[in-house]
Amino acid sequence: MKIMLNDVPHEFSGKTLQDLLIQLDKSEQGIAIAINQQVVPKSLWTSTKLNEQSQVFIFESIAGG
Amino acid sequence: MSSLFIAGHEFHSRLFTGTGKYASADAMMDSLTASESELVTLSLRRMDLKNQTDNILKPLQQQRIKLLPNTSGARTAKEAVFAAELAREALETNWVKLEIHPDPRYLMPDGMETLLAAEELIKKGFVVMPYVHADPVLCKRLEEVGCQCVMPLGSPIGSNMGLASRPFLEIIIEQSTVPVIIDAGIGAPSDAALALEIGADAVLVNTAMAVARQPAKMGKAFRLAVEAGRMAYESGLGERRVQAQATSPLTDFLGALS
Repeated sequence: MKIMLNDVPHEFSGKTLQDLLIQLDKSEQGIAIAINQQVVPKSLWTSTKLNEQSQVFIFESIAGG
Repeated sequence: MSSLFIAGHEFHSRLFTGTGKYASADAMMDSLTASESELVTLSLRRMDLKNQTDNILKPLQQQRIKLLPNTSGARTAKEAVFAAELAREALETNWVKLEIHPDPRYLMPDGMETLLAAEELIKKGFVVMPYVHADPVLCKRLEEVGCQCVMPLGSPIGSNMGLASRPFLEIIIEQSTVPVIIDAGIGAPSDAALALEIGADAVLVNTAMAVARQPAKMGKAFRLAVEAGRMAYESGLGERRVQAQATSPLTDFLGALS
């Protein structure tokens, strides 16, 4: 299925947010996720299912003042 | 030197630091280690899905430095609240440096949006550290809605202009019942020392340390300056006078020679 990931169409073969992170091969440290403008707590990543309407934004912590 | 307490957390160092603008993660860690800072700021951005970014989180966590996410990039209260909620998830802390600056040229904080966001974030259980203009009325309002400290600016972010707002900072320091942390514009250790001498509880330094030719040495210089400034404040500075006041007794012991 196609989801929107950080404003870009993204082909995704899994089911949950956790699957997406595994697919992207990104560390879970220091990141946060929002779907359709709602922050999804880490504890819900494995149970949150994605669909064609999902607008997913992944954020990471970086250096800053 | 006495400890600083914010929301029940004890800080032995009154030097808070930012992590931006360093040439590398190693340079940053060397500088922060030399500074002995116990609180560092971080920011958030949309993840770069193509490139792996330099992981600065791990070395910071290994050093047991407290992380303070900021809401940089937010232009409204609504965006700032969203950023704070993301940051709470990303860094597992309910502390947030609230900064809302809609104008990229001067990065002046929007006081009205900041007050609105602070109120909402406090209701949501955050420890809010608001970055604001050196506005004594706004600082009181922020204190009244429950901010655990205030962070007025010395001068614009990254400008190295020091305590351009000094007269107003002094009013804020006099009136505040929460810690006052002077943030932004501190360009030299002498600025930091002055901030502590006039009674600020702490300073937040980033650019001056990060862009120094030797960031580690500059980190140490800031540590010493902050300690000196605080010790001077605690020991009590003398009053300024227009006229001289002799330090040696003015006796007439050479009078016989004339």
